[in-house]
Amino acid sequence: MRVDHRLADELRELGARNISQCYSCGVCTAICPLSEEGREIPRRMVRYAVLGLRDRLERSLEPWLCYYCGECTKSCPRGADPGALMMAVRRYLITRYDFTGISRVLYRSPLAEALLAAALFLAVVLGVYFLHGPVNLERVDMESFLPAGVVDAADIAVAATLASLLLANAYRMYRLTRRGPRLPLTAYITELVKTVPPHFFTQLRMLKCRGSVRDWVMHALTAYGYGIVFVLVVLFLRAIHAGVYPAAHPLRLAGYVASALLLAGAGYAIYGRARRSSVARQYSHPTDWLFLILLLLTTLTGVALHVFKYLNMPLEAYVCYAVHLGLAAPLLILEVPFAKWSHIAYRPLAIYFARLNELRARRLQPSP
Amino acid sequence: MQKILERAEAAGEQLSYDAVVIGGGIAGMEASLSLADMGYRVLLVEREPTIGGKMFLLSKVFPTLDCASCIATPKMAAAARHPNITLWTYSEVRRVRALDRGAFEVDILRKPRFVNESLCTGCGLCEDACPVVVPKELDFGLRGRKAVYIPLDTAVPRKAVVDIDNCILCGQCERRCPAGAIDFTQKPRVYRVRARAVVIATGCRPFPAELKEAYGYGRTPNVITALQMERLLAPTRPYNAVLRPSDGREPGNIGYVLCAGSRDVTAGNPRCSQVCCMYSIKQAQLLLGALPLADVTIYYMDVRAYGKGFEEFYQRARSMGVKFVRGRVARIEGLPNGDVRVMYEDVEEGRLKSAVHDLVVLAVGLLPDNEVLKAFEGVTIHTDELGFVKVDPEDPVRTNVEGVFAAGCITGPKDIPDTILEAAAAAMRCAAFLKEVEARQT
Repeated sequence: MRVDHRLADELRELGARNISQCYSCGVCTAICPLSEEGREIPRRMVRYAVLGLRDRLERSLEPWLCYYCGECTKSCPRGADPGALMMAVRRYLITRYDFTGISRVLYRSPLAEALLAAALFLAVVLGVYFLHGPVNLERVDMESFLPAGVVDAADIAVAATLASLLLANAYRMYRLTRRGPRLPLTAYITELVKTVPPHFFTQLRMLKCRGSVRDWVMHALTAYGYGIVFVLVVLFLRAIHAGVYPAAHPLRLAGYVASALLLAGAGYAIYGRARRSSVARQYSHPTDWLFLILLLLTTLTGVALHVFKYLNMPLEAYVCYAVHLGLAAPLLILEVPFAKWSHIAYRPLAIYFARLNELRARRLQPSP
Repeated sequence: MQKILERAEAAGEQLSYDAVVIGGGIAGMEASLSLADMGYRVLLVEREPTIGGKMFLLSKVFPTLDCASCIATPKMAAAARHPNITLWTYSEVRRVRALDRGAFEVDILRKPRFVNESLCTGCGLCEDACPVVVPKELDFGLRGRKAVYIPLDTAVPRKAVVDIDNCILCGQCERRCPAGAIDFTQKPRVYRVRARAVVIATGCRPFPAELKEAYGYGRTPNVITALQMERLLAPTRPYNAVLRPSDGREPGNIGYVLCAGSRDVTAGNPRCSQVCCMYSIKQAQLLLGALPLADVTIYYMDVRAYGKGFEEFYQRARSMGVKFVRGRVARIEGLPNGDVRVMYEDVEEGRLKSAVHDLVVLAVGLLPDNEVLKAFEGVTIHTDELGFVKVDPEDPVRTNVEGVFAAGCITGPKDIPDTILEAAAAAMRCAAFLKEVEARQT
């Protein structure tokens, strides 16, 4: 066991402001609605952080099992803010799972983060500027301006890269957190089916947090809004590009619903963070802001694009499209594998991995 | 009462004392007695109808397990009978003005007892006659008292007082009193007193446990404060037994929750209250005596047994079988059968746990009882962020105002020996100040 005195400072940079105040009374763990026997959070993580037990911290899945209701922070008699520590540890773990080191840069330097986002934005906008097809100023003709085939190809390339990066990171997470002997293959598969899809689609665990129903609803709305957009872009881009549809057309309706959900979700989160409306929204890291602002702007430009198209304002529509793609690029490329959005994979997987570890521990103990 | 007090009239006479001691607890009594023994004339002002403060309510004192009443009551009697001490109970300091160096003008409101103190013999017949029952403050609501009552068996002065807010003016006490002492025509009077020095000894008030919502005090009947337990264990106790409030059963399994309202920023008091560890250990030992079959568990973060004989006292409790569990209780909930569940993390094992007790005692912390500081006019007595009077560590009984001294828990939570020590020190400093002022005037 190695003690690393820099660990606490690193976590402080990532948002764990007051953690050295902790005097280990255990109130946070006893008050946490998600804490259960054998899987106590958050005090154990606080001890790892304060004592500098980097290995232990990196091998922990517990941070992902916390959904930041803020109960621990509200009841901490020392004001040590254990909730913020758990958030900081999640940020730290994202940087540790990522083998490229990009996420470390993003989390440690807001400037680098802003520059990278700006570079991606410019690259995409300039790419569209230089590569776009014939510009039809008579009517909005997306298909000739930027053929769906090209966008799709770019989409697939980006998606494949991001997915492989995220999967590689998730595999590193698995390697780091695995404890105990091998399990039979069927166990891996049945547990995967039992844990990942339900938690991925519902975030059920979050509902166990006291007083988090509204946050859970807003999170689900945002996620489903994004899900709809994802399906529209992947499957129906050509149809959206080519056609002009009546208002009640399913594609348009789906788009409206998705935009409304995303705007509501992102707006709710931004408003909450600006007003610091709850413990979880007291202190925002620059990556949190970048994610939410990019999400909001991408949605807004998407809506604007739609308006321009149906008002038949070709030039505005083309410019708006370029900006829309420019904003979507850093949103996806930076946030999905390297920053906040990676929780889409880590959270359900953590539940899965924790379950596997539990089964392994059970195998180690002779059954009574 | 408020309405009656608003019509208080100024008393004509001008009184003059060497020192006014505010607060008739153990600190105020000790300071008054020391000053009086040195020949100074002292006015001891007490807000309640009896002197004695908190100490005479206690069961025993730590770490010697001496009887608290046996130490406090002789002091109370001595303070009341000392020729150099004038005792005004049921009186409040309304205004303190510093006129000059060594010259204070103190306005004191004497509240009407509606009982003629010189006639009342303390026989208690009025209590028998009175038909009104209300919760008894000095037993922290564990039993009732009448609207006309003698504050406690060991009260000094042992005189009845009419609680005019709850009195229904039926006149039964007046008819029953053999001495004819009940007098509903008494009026509040404000006395203007000249004094050369002031000693503040207003002490502490227990942390209001209902403020710590997670502990359910006030909602869960079998969650009581340590002061209530103190009364259940004291010689002048109600029921003459340790019983739990909800159903009057003898508790077989008692839990102590330390640091209830101290070392807790969420309760507004981040500091240690100094005495809770030790009084809980004391109560645990007394409980093992009172209920030989009972289990007592103390939930603690670290036991602060810092004084002479304290650590031995703590070890003795351990060897007697008191269970000490390291972990601060996070939440307390009442069960339908009256039992109480405490939720905590066993910090030594790192495991989440809960336990069910018949009775849970909150070891409440101490906060300053500093209402009187508002009465100071023209000068401000400096206090710290929690409201305790600020004193210089080099001279721990002197306030920032010359001629005003402070002793006991008003300068910070402390145990009884330290309080007595401080009171004697304040009396000595006060005497030195009085001597010096005298020398200058002649």
